Amino acid sequence: MKSRFRVPFIAIAALVVAGPVVGLASAAVASTTVQTPYQTGRSNAGTPNSTNVTKDSSGNIVSYGNSAITYTAPSSALAALGQSLFLENCASCHGTQANGVPANGTSGAFPNLVGLGPATIDFWIESGRMPAADPRAVQANRRVARLTHEQALAVAAWVNSLGPSYPDIPSPNLASANVSNGAALFALNCAACHTIEGDGDALAAGTYAPSLRNIPAYQVVEAIRTGPGNMPRFTGNLSDFQVADIVKYVTTEIQHPQNPGGAGLGGLGPVAEGFVGLLLGVGLLALVGFWVGERQ
Amino acid sequence: MSQTLNTKRSQRDAGGPYGKIGQSLNELDDRMGIAKGGRTFLDKIFPDHWSFMLGEIALYSFVVLLATGIFLTLYYVPSQDLTTYTGSYLPLYGQKVTEAFASTVNLSFAVRAGLLMRQMHHWSCDIFVGAIVVHMGRVFFTGAFRKPRETNWVIGTTLLILAIVNGFLGYSLPDDLVSGTGIRIAYSIILSIPVVGSYVAFFLFGGNFPGTSIIPRFFILHVLIIPLVILALVGAHMGLLVRQKHTQFPGKGKTENNVVGTPMYPVFMAKTTGFMFVVSGAIALLGAFAQINPIWQFGPYTASRISYAVQPDWYMGFLDGALRIFPAWSFHSFGHTIPLEVTIPAVIFPGILFNLIMAWPAIERKFTKDNAMHNLLDRPSNRPKRTAAGVAVAVLCAMLFIASSTDVIANFFHVSLNTVLWAMRVLCIVVPILAYPVTYKIAREMQGFAGAGKRKTTNIVTRTIEGEYVATPAPVYVDDMEHENEHDAVPVPTYVVGDDEGQSDENINGVRRIPR
Repeated sequence: MKSRFRVPFIAIAALVVAGPVVGLASAAVASTTVQTPYQTGRSNAGTPNSTNVTKDSSGNIVSYGNSAITYTAPSSALAALGQSLFLENCASCHGTQANGVPANGTSGAFPNLVGLGPATIDFWIESGRMPAADPRAVQANRRVARLTHEQALAVAAWVNSLGPSYPDIPSPNLASANVSNGAALFALNCAACHTIEGDGDALAAGTYAPSLRNIPAYQVVEAIRTGPGNMPRFTGNLSDFQVADIVKYVTTEIQHPQNPGGAGLGGLGPVAEGFVGLLLGVGLLALVGFWVGERQ
Repeated sequence: MSQTLNTKRSQRDAGGPYGKIGQSLNELDDRMGIAKGGRTFLDKIFPDHWSFMLGEIALYSFVVLLATGIFLTLYYVPSQDLTTYTGSYLPLYGQKVTEAFASTVNLSFAVRAGLLMRQMHHWSCDIFVGAIVVHMGRVFFTGAFRKPRETNWVIGTTLLILAIVNGFLGYSLPDDLVSGTGIRIAYSIILSIPVVGSYVAFFLFGGNFPGTSIIPRFFILHVLIIPLVILALVGAHMGLLVRQKHTQFPGKGKTENNVVGTPMYPVFMAKTTGFMFVVSGAIALLGAFAQINPIWQFGPYTASRISYAVQPDWYMGFLDGALRIFPAWSFHSFGHTIPLEVTIPAVIFPGILFNLIMAWPAIERKFTKDNAMHNLLDRPSNRPKRTAAGVAVAVLCAMLFIASSTDVIANFFHVSLNTVLWAMRVLCIVVPILAYPVTYKIAREMQGFAGAGKRKTTNIVTRTIEGEYVATPAPVYVDDMEHENEHDAVPVPTYVVGDDEGQSDENINGVRRIPR
C-alpha cells in the first residue's frame, strides 16, 4: 500500500541504478517491482549489485545499498584483532577455523560460521547471545554483550575474511520510513511469533520469540535479514524500504507506544485484565459489601 | 353530612401528613393501585449479611454497562465496509480498515471521554460476569437454590450464559486483530457441531468466513436482542426474589418462617444506593487508570494476519483452555472430517457443564429426597458432598482458565511450552479429582470443630502480680449462645404449616422481622 507513494522514487532509482538483477526467479512479487541494489534471493541475499558499491583506496567494499538501509563491511584492518578475540571467546565451540565442531553426534550444535556474513556474526555477539552462557541450551538468551561494538566488528571482519559473504553490517535510515506501512508489515510478518505488542512469547519445545522492547534498530535489521535461530530469514519478500518501515514501527511504537488509557498491565492482555477485573474489581467490591454488611 | 371544601388547606390535608406528594401518590393509587405493590416493595426485608451484596455488584455493573454502552452506540459504526483510516493515530494512518475498527479507534481517540467510556464498558463487563459467578457460588454453597427457588437458579444460570455470550459479542465488535481471531475460533467451533455445523455457520455468518455481515449481526445481537433478554430475566430474577422473599443464615430469632433484616425503606435503600455509587466509582477508576484492550496496538483484522499470545476475556478462558489442551483427535470417514478435538472441548463440554449446573437442584433433590421448603441457609461445611462437588467443578474451570494462558506461563517462567501443556492436561484431570475428597474431609472436620459457625472471640491477656502473662479466651458472644451445640445435629429443616413466631411485626434495634 505504501508503494503507491514510492513508485516515482523507485522508478527513478531503478533508472539510475539499472543493475542487472540476478536470481529473482523465486523471489516474491515485491522484489520484481522494487529493484533493490543488492541481491534478494534465498541464497545470495545482501550480495551487492555491481554499480552502487563504494570501495576504499585498498579496494575493500565500504558500503553499498540505498537510502533506506546502508550496509557497511567491517574494516579488514580489524581482522587480526578479530582472530585473537575469536580464539579467546569462540574457538572452544566453533573451532579455531570457525568451521564448527560436531557435538554429541549433532553436527549442527556448534555450527560452521564461515560464509554467514558479517551481520550474522555481529548480531549474535552484540545481542549478548554469544559467547553462549550455556552452550547446550535450547536457545541462547539475550544478555549484556561481553564484547564491545568494536570487538564484535573485529570478530566479524576476521570470520568474513575466511569466506567473504553478505549481508554486511546494516545501518537503517529511518527518516523517510513509513510507520503505518511498518505496522501493517509487522502484523503480517512478525506478530505471529513476537505478538502484536512485540512482547514475544513461548514457542514449542523450549524455544521462544524474544521481546522486541529493547532492541537497537540495526539489530532488528540484522535479525530480519539473517534469521537467527528459529526465525525465518526475510530476504526476497521484504525490500529495504519495507524493512526500514518495520524497524521504524518497532523502534517507535513497539518500544515507546502511544499508550493512553492508564497502566498497561504488563502487555499480558486478557490474562492480566482478568486478574485485575476479578481481584481488584470484584474482590474489592466484595470487601466493600463485607464492610457495609453484617459479618456474623 | 359531608361537605366538599375546595381550599388549598383541604387539598393538602387530603394527602395526609405528606402534603402534596402524598396527595399525588393518593391520586396515583386511586387510578393504578400503586399502594399495595409499593408497600410490598418498600417493606421488603433484606438480610444484613454481607454475602447478599455480591449479587448487587452484578446488578450495578450491569447498570454501568447499559449507560456506557448507550454512549458507545452513538459513535460506533457496525459495518465491515473498508475505509481508509485518517485519524490521529499515526501507525494506522492510511491503512485500509473496516468502518467498525476505524470508528472504535476514533471513539477512543477523537471523542471526548470516549476511551474512558470504552474502558469502563469493558471493565464493567469483566466485573459483571465475575460478580455473577461469585454470587452464584454463594447461592450454591449455602443451598439457597433449594425449593422453592429452583426457578430462580435456572434464570440466574441463563443470565450467566447470556452475559458470557454477550461479552464475547461485544469483544468482537471492534474488529481488531485479536478479536477477529476470536471470531475465527467461534466460526470453527460452530463448524464442528455434528451434521448441522456447516449450515449453522453459513447461516450465522451469511456465507463463508469472514464475509461482510458478521459484525452488523453481532452488533444487533449485542446491543438489542441479548440485552433485552437479560433485562427481562433480571426483572424476573428480582420479581421472584421479592415474591419468594430472601433466604437467611440461621441465627438468633431467624427461622424458616420469617425474614430478619432491614427494610427497603429507608435503611436498605440508602445502603444499596450508596453501594451502586461505590460500584460505578470503582469501575470508573479502573476505566481511568487501567488500560484494557488497546485495539489501536492490535490493528485491524484481516484473515491473513494473526498475532501470537492471544487470549479471550477471562470468562471465555475456560473454553479457550479446554480447546488448547485437548488432544488432537480428529477422524476422516465417509468424506467427512469429525473434529473431536474441537467438538468435545468447545461444544460438548460446555453443554454438559451448564446443563449440570441448571439441573443441580433437581439432581440434589433426587439424592437427598429432601422435598421440604428451605428458607434457612446451610453452612457449606454442613453439606460436605455438595460443597465438595461444587469445589471440584469450580477447580476444573479454574484449571482450564489457567490452561488458556499456557504460553504466558511458559514465557514467564522460562519453561517449555510443551511441558506446560502436558502439565495442564494432567492437572485438569487430577486436581478436580483431588479437590473433591480434600474438600469433603475439610468440611467434615469443620463440622466437628468446637465453636464452628461462631464468631471468633478475642483472647484476653492479663498480667499477674508476679509478672506472668496469661491468655484466656473471652466468653462466647451472647448472640451465639443459643446455638452452642448446633454442630451436633445438622439441622434438616422441615416445612412448618402456618407461622408461629413470625407474626410479630416488632422492631428491635432497627432490625425487623416479618412473617413470610
